[in-house]
Amino acid sequence: MFPHLHVASAYSLRYGSAFPRDLAARAAAQEMDVLALTDRDGMYGAVKHVQACAEAGVGPVAGVDFALGEPGGGRHGEDGDRVTVLARSGGWAHLCRLTTAAHHAGERGEPRVTRELVGLHAGELLVMLGPRSDVGRAVAARRDERARALLAAWRAAVPDVVVEVVDQFGHRDASTAARMLALAESAGVPSVLTNAVRHLEPGDYRVGDVLDAARKLVPLHPRHLEHSASHAYLKSGKEMWHVALRVCGGDRGRATRLLARTREAAERCVLDPLEVLALRGGRERLHLPEVDGDPVPLLRGRCEDGLVARGLERSSEARERLEDELRIIERKRLSGYFIVVSDITDMIRGMGVRCAIRGSGAGSLVNYLVRIGEVNPLDHGLLMERFLSEGREGLPDIDVDVESARRLDCYRAILQRYGEGRVACVSMMETYRARSAIRDVGAAMGLPPHEIDVIAKAFPHIRARQIRAALTDLPELRDSGLGGHALRTMFELAEKLDGLPRHIALHPCGVLVGNSGLRDRTPVERSLLEFPMSQFDKDDVEEAGLLKLDVLGVRMQSAMAYALGEIKRVDGEDVDLDRGVPHDDGATYDLIRTGHTLGCFQIESPGQRELVAKLEPRTMHDLIVDISLFRPGPVNSDMVTPYLEARHGWREPHYPHPALRPALRETHGVVIFHEQVLRVVDAMTGCGLSEAETIRRKLSTSEGRDEARAWWEAEVLPDFDRETTDRAWQVLDAFGSFGFCKAHAAAFALPTYQSAWLKRHHAAAFFAGVLTHEPGMYPNRVILDEARQCGVAVLPLDVNASGRQWLVERCPPPPPPPGVPPEQDPPRRVGEGYGLRVPFSSVKGISEAEVERMVAGQPYTSLADFWERARPSRPVAERVVQVGGVDALHGLHPGGPRWRPGELTRRDLLAQVGVLERASATGVRTRPGARRTARRGETERGWAGTSPDPPAGPAVQIPMGFTEHIRPGELPEMTEAEAVQAELEILGMDVSHHVIAFHEDLLAAIGVVRAGELLTMRNGAEILVAGVKVATQTPAVRSGQRVVFTTLDDATGPIDLTFFESVQGHCAATLFGSWLLVARGVVRRVGARAVSLRALDCWNLVELDEIWRTEGIGAVRAVLDAAPRDRGGVGGRSVEYGNGYRLSPYADIGPPAGVRTAPRKLWHASPGSSGPPPSAQRRGR
Amino acid sequence: MSRIYGDPIEVWTRDGEPARFVWRDRLYVVRRALDHWVTSREWWKISEADPGERRFWRVEASPGKDVGTYELRFDTASGGWLMLRAWD
Repeated sequence: MFPHLHVASAYSLRYGSAFPRDLAARAAAQEMDVLALTDRDGMYGAVKHVQACAEAGVGPVAGVDFALGEPGGGRHGEDGDRVTVLARSGGWAHLCRLTTAAHHAGERGEPRVTRELVGLHAGELLVMLGPRSDVGRAVAARRDERARALLAAWRAAVPDVVVEVVDQFGHRDASTAARMLALAESAGVPSVLTNAVRHLEPGDYRVGDVLDAARKLVPLHPRHLEHSASHAYLKSGKEMWHVALRVCGGDRGRATRLLARTREAAERCVLDPLEVLALRGGRERLHLPEVDGDPVPLLRGRCEDGLVARGLERSSEARERLEDELRIIERKRLSGYFIVVSDITDMIRGMGVRCAIRGSGAGSLVNYLVRIGEVNPLDHGLLMERFLSEGREGLPDIDVDVESARRLDCYRAILQRYGEGRVACVSMMETYRARSAIRDVGAAMGLPPHEIDVIAKAFPHIRARQIRAALTDLPELRDSGLGGHALRTMFELAEKLDGLPRHIALHPCGVLVGNSGLRDRTPVERSLLEFPMSQFDKDDVEEAGLLKLDVLGVRMQSAMAYALGEIKRVDGEDVDLDRGVPHDDGATYDLIRTGHTLGCFQIESPGQRELVAKLEPRTMHDLIVDISLFRPGPVNSDMVTPYLEARHGWREPHYPHPALRPALRETHGVVIFHEQVLRVVDAMTGCGLSEAETIRRKLSTSEGRDEARAWWEAEVLPDFDRETTDRAWQVLDAFGSFGFCKAHAAAFALPTYQSAWLKRHHAAAFFAGVLTHEPGMYPNRVILDEARQCGVAVLPLDVNASGRQWLVERCPPPPPPPGVPPEQDPPRRVGEGYGLRVPFSSVKGISEAEVERMVAGQPYTSLADFWERARPSRPVAERVVQVGGVDALHGLHPGGPRWRPGELTRRDLLAQVGVLERASATGVRTRPGARRTARRGETERGWAGTSPDPPAGPAVQIPMGFTEHIRPGELPEMTEAEAVQAELEILGMDVSHHVIAFHEDLLAAIGVVRAGELLTMRNGAEILVAGVKVATQTPAVRSGQRVVFTTLDDATGPIDLTFFESVQGHCAATLFGSWLLVARGVVRRVGARAVSLRALDCWNLVELDEIWRTEGIGAVRAVLDAAPRDRGGVGGRSVEYGNGYRLSPYADIGPPAGVRTAPRKLWHASPGSSGPPPSAQRRGR
Repeated sequence: MSRIYGDPIEVWTRDGEPARFVWRDRLYVVRRALDHWVTSREWWKISEADPGERRFWRVEASPGKDVGTYELRFDTASGGWLMLRAWD
């Protein structure tokens, strides 16, 4: 029974390839009773290892393989010395502390230890000096004296030192091992045998080779690889006996003694799993936060105060509920946790940061009373059991949403308040997926970086192991030419990296709150932003019995905070969104019902716009239902249609059994919330809500599901007939893991309503917030267009009016935009009288400091003044001019005749920027803040020459005899098309005109229907539409297909298209590869005020435009009328879940591949081509 | 001085180690294994599923009375042996 004491798992980043669970299972299968995990540089896999060992019945040993050396000095990186440190039994805390110290000693990401540092923590540690240690290197180099001296130094520093002997059959391995053994024997130091394991199977060394190349940033070449890596796998006891014999020169007695010493060392280090897995160890082992005083009466007192403050002191319902909750909280010894969390949320609000509870925590009355959240669970019938229950083993975690822009401020405040020793952020492992694997393997194969980039981006965000399947399954990749032989090896290798950890990152929200012993429980390193970060992920911290609070940054909260600030600044009005806004505002619900929810929280996607239009919410409860319905669970079990039918009274609500009526009445007999599932289970079995929640949680795994099914059959009360029992099971099954809890939806519904209210009543400020913080799924140009639809003017960049971020300005109402029918919905013109000013920060390539200077220097009197005082870089200054930032200052009017002698143009000013730069390069710039004087000569001409500033200080020279002179009007003005092109390139959005405006003639010629006219189309009509592709999604849908939802924007509103698999064969490449699209589709009316299209075919508008110019309208019609070529559909078997839920392997994989921004060239501009719209025509070059 | 060959040879093994081999029509008996190591191959250049490994032995062996040192190589993928070098 050989104990492996030196084992790296996949959590040795870019080094190991096996997961702790597999290693432990293999060890158990080989009847090993002890197994160590000694990952490189950290304890990232340690909790998972202890857990896996406990489950496999193997004694766990934990250790770390550290780089050895002075921080910043000595040998670095790959060739550096290494030592392995094991925690002796009971030494977990010391290993954590040493790991933390190693990370603090080295540079970030390059932890290292010295002999002295290890000595400081060595009381409960065992140090193994192997062939890669300083001792081992000296032995290999045959410097015996040095080896002896180093070993003696280690013995002096650390009580428990052993020499580690390794032989992986590499060249000279055996002789070095024999010499190490001899050294140990002569020095009287125990020796142990390990296999320095990196892999589970012998053949996995190839993955290891790729990882080595990726880690060292070198190509795969024998020169860079460990030749013996094929032996660095988890060898069996028998194989290790052969190794021992080899090392001992065939002496069986010595070999036996070596293995016996290895075993002794292992036994010194076996950990009690419960010491690490505190959650299983019972309540006494939990790591609780520190509170001044006894937390139990403290929390009771605060709840009592809360009852009064919330006006609930006379409610017996509230009192009973509170008593129930407190009983469970106190039994679980969690009172202190609630106190700390409520202190933190108070502190966050005190900082003026918006803060809202989310998730199941909203179901707890205690959270409402101590002001962690603003949702009263009693109002919405929310249950606490989803959050915290008797039967639930795990720890509760409270989630709060804060403004995304202030999240890190919140972290800093928490750290400052409780101290770094008690608080740490949770980490998470980023793993290899298709794109990252292709990038790393491509580099290892020596491909040019730009080619790697193109290849990686061609793939959607799929798993690495799906790469080759995707190449044949997906039409857009089949046509890409990536399937050739040349890349096959690379893809094969990339697939091998699937799921391996790649790097550690800060978890987006988890914060551990503990006491001063926190760092005995978890090693802590520094994140990229210098936050203390636990090496454990969110599952590990729960297993380790650490309590956490999730502080999630939500962009919509930032957007709303920004909007409130703009309302105050422009209108002087103080809006209290949380307490001062009624929750039953008819105008707000009108806006939602008509599907004009673009920009709003949670309800802006095409699917949600369709659903709100059908559901027609009128109350907060309707919004809660809406948000819950739009989830895989309800969609999967087809809850949407029956609910809508019952809601609109087209069908009588149906209750499977009268006993279920109370649970299901609020949703007309349809199960929508997790809470209802619990109530149904309780009603049918009498098991109580807490037990019902335990059963529901089992449904997420297939074994748990079988167990739950058996339980259900046994426990259902006899009053229920077979049919009801079965139907209830189906619902339970479909819902258990995919449904949504009402508490969560209730927490979401509030910001959803608030955002809609802001859009309805303060449209311009709302859009300013949305544009600044980009909370949603659409690019800013869509939000901007939506703002125009709402009557908000879009104002160009202006050096004297623009700010850091989007600013609201009051301005006279503009004329209605073209293409919008006059019989507008009333909510559509709600933003009139206001404008939105393009900010400096949206200029491409501008630096933070430049923005600061530009704002600080306002107002400017001329371009030269702007150049001198804002001191932009030349490219930034040119971009500011190109998008019209100084138009107002110099009275420019782009568009119209291009040649206008005597009148200044943007191109003149561009040339002027060059002149200014050359002048400053020769040392003639005035100092910033220099006294400005009237520039007579310039103001008369209306533009900036060089400024004839008097010397403002001794160091400043006057420009002498300025020779470069530009006559106004010498260069042609930009056309409107050129201006829009510049805006797209520089600002990423079309400000002055909508891009589609330049294709109006062609669109009219082929009879394209505009978004504004869609409502007048009859159901089933086949029409052409066109627009800019603004959103593409492939969500999980009921059929198990990959369905692509695309939204086009054509200046009159959004057009939602659905591409089913049947048309993707001929559409996918164009759909993903184009920015401007023309599509043919069948009209589908989805509600009183909403229309969507089932797409049949699509074309790239730019290509059609070119055909039109070169071959005429007939050729365009021929292209449009040609029958689509059948190029095969979408392949890949859908994933089927136990409950019958099917999912396309390519569904819901994040932002899809393909073109998402404007290409460089929007218009074809060959001279002599005929027929382009005059406004888009470019004359000359 | 060693000489480099690279001749295919026939080898009989005992417990996975070479015991006797025939090289250039002479039978050699292995007296003692001096060293043994293994290298992996440049598997990314070859298309086989399992590229296997190359096992090297440096042995003392004799065709008659004279003992020489020989380096043998076994390729697990092809199953073939080579005489790589000889010091004799």
